[in-house]
Amino acid sequence: MGGDHRAFLDATLPHVDAVYHVARHAARAGQEPEDLVQETYLRAFAAFGSYRGENTRAWLAAICLNVARSEARRRRRRPWEVPAQVLLDALPAAGAEEARDVADVVIAGLDARAVARCLGLLPEPQRACIVLMDVAGYTAREAGEALGCPRGTVLARVHRGRRKLARLLAEAGVSHERS
Amino acid sequence: MNGHDRLLAAFLTGDLDPGEARRWDEHLLDCEQCWRAVREDRTGRQAAGLLRQPAPDGLADRVAFAVELAAAGATSPAPPRRRVRPRPGRLTAAGALALGLAVTLVVLLFPGGHGSLPAPVAAVTRYAETVPPVHRPGPGPGEQAAPVQVGHPVTVTANGHPIVVRTWRLGGTEVVVATSGRPFPMPPGAHGTSAGGMAWVARAGNLSLYCINGPTSELLAAAIPAGELAALAARLPAA
Repeated sequence: MGGDHRAFLDATLPHVDAVYHVARHAARAGQEPEDLVQETYLRAFAAFGSYRGENTRAWLAAICLNVARSEARRRRRRPWEVPAQVLLDALPAAGAEEARDVADVVIAGLDARAVARCLGLLPEPQRACIVLMDVAGYTAREAGEALGCPRGTVLARVHRGRRKLARLLAEAGVSHERS
Repeated sequence: MNGHDRLLAAFLTGDLDPGEARRWDEHLLDCEQCWRAVREDRTGRQAAGLLRQPAPDGLADRVAFAVELAAAGATSPAPPRRRVRPRPGRLTAAGALALGLAVTLVVLLFPGGHGSLPAPVAAVTRYAETVPPVHRPGPGPGEQAAPVQVGHPVTVTANGHPIVVRTWRLGGTEVVVATSGRPFPMPPGAHGTSAGGMAWVARAGNLSLYCINGPTSELLAAAIPAGELAALAARLPAA
């Protein structure tokens, strides 16, 4: 295997940015995304000899999610979990504006931290699909490979997740919409 | 998600054939509910896109280095790390420990261009070669930048020789500092600067190496003249 490491690095290093995006959102408290990326690559390297897949980027994402999940399990925490207080802090006590069209909420500037917090409110499957597609730039097919579900399921989850995220941002008084 | 929603998701993804897509365009002119869904989808996608940020400088090098160590040292990657289950009140300490033990790898024999160097010295040299050059102006005249630690410590084991490697930035220079409880062997061609090889300097490629052996031994590596490296060593925090 040692002789393969050049081939492995040639095949996988171009995807380090994408893996980092996945790691940044999959890493839990006390876990550094950089460490998660490194562990992902080491595990991928160990399995590279038997890897026959066609999409290296999706394969790396799947490993990264598995490593994060294993780590979370080890820590007896659920992956993608956001403490309730953090979520409460993320959202102000908004007045009931359920019927409000999110596109009408125009706030100058967007706080990326608020987006991250609101993203943390979404159910894990939706959040994972959004992170893979909208943050890390994976296609729906690649996201499906990484998550082990059909492409149509990914599309449905990402659509529901985006809508929910937009509503949460509107409730928090934040919108990216610039009309 | 019902069939209507699935069609909408397909429309947003561009999966519909031109005829279906045109029908959806027309439908959106009249259907407030679907129009809102389209706008919310777009808003959510754009907002999530703001979370993109490039990987930190040096991450690719760090990953490549770890893989090269795994390839060089064994036929398996990092051995499983012994983990201590965190207890309440000790999470912070456990987290710090986890960061400190970012990597533990075994280097049995370091290959490549450092074959003449003792394994512990070769491992540190190889690591220092992965540190990208810094293109920052140094401190101004009369100024002396305080050392800043870059990234997290990495633990490497070379020939059973555990070494903690840190990177420090001093002004415009990044210096790799390896510390160990055992002395770093003097490589061929090194010059002793004290009796018995307690301190020595050497060159490895474009790197200078400066070592002070003692109860805790330190090996510094940086792409600067050896004389400057010795001066920088005095400004770093004690190991």
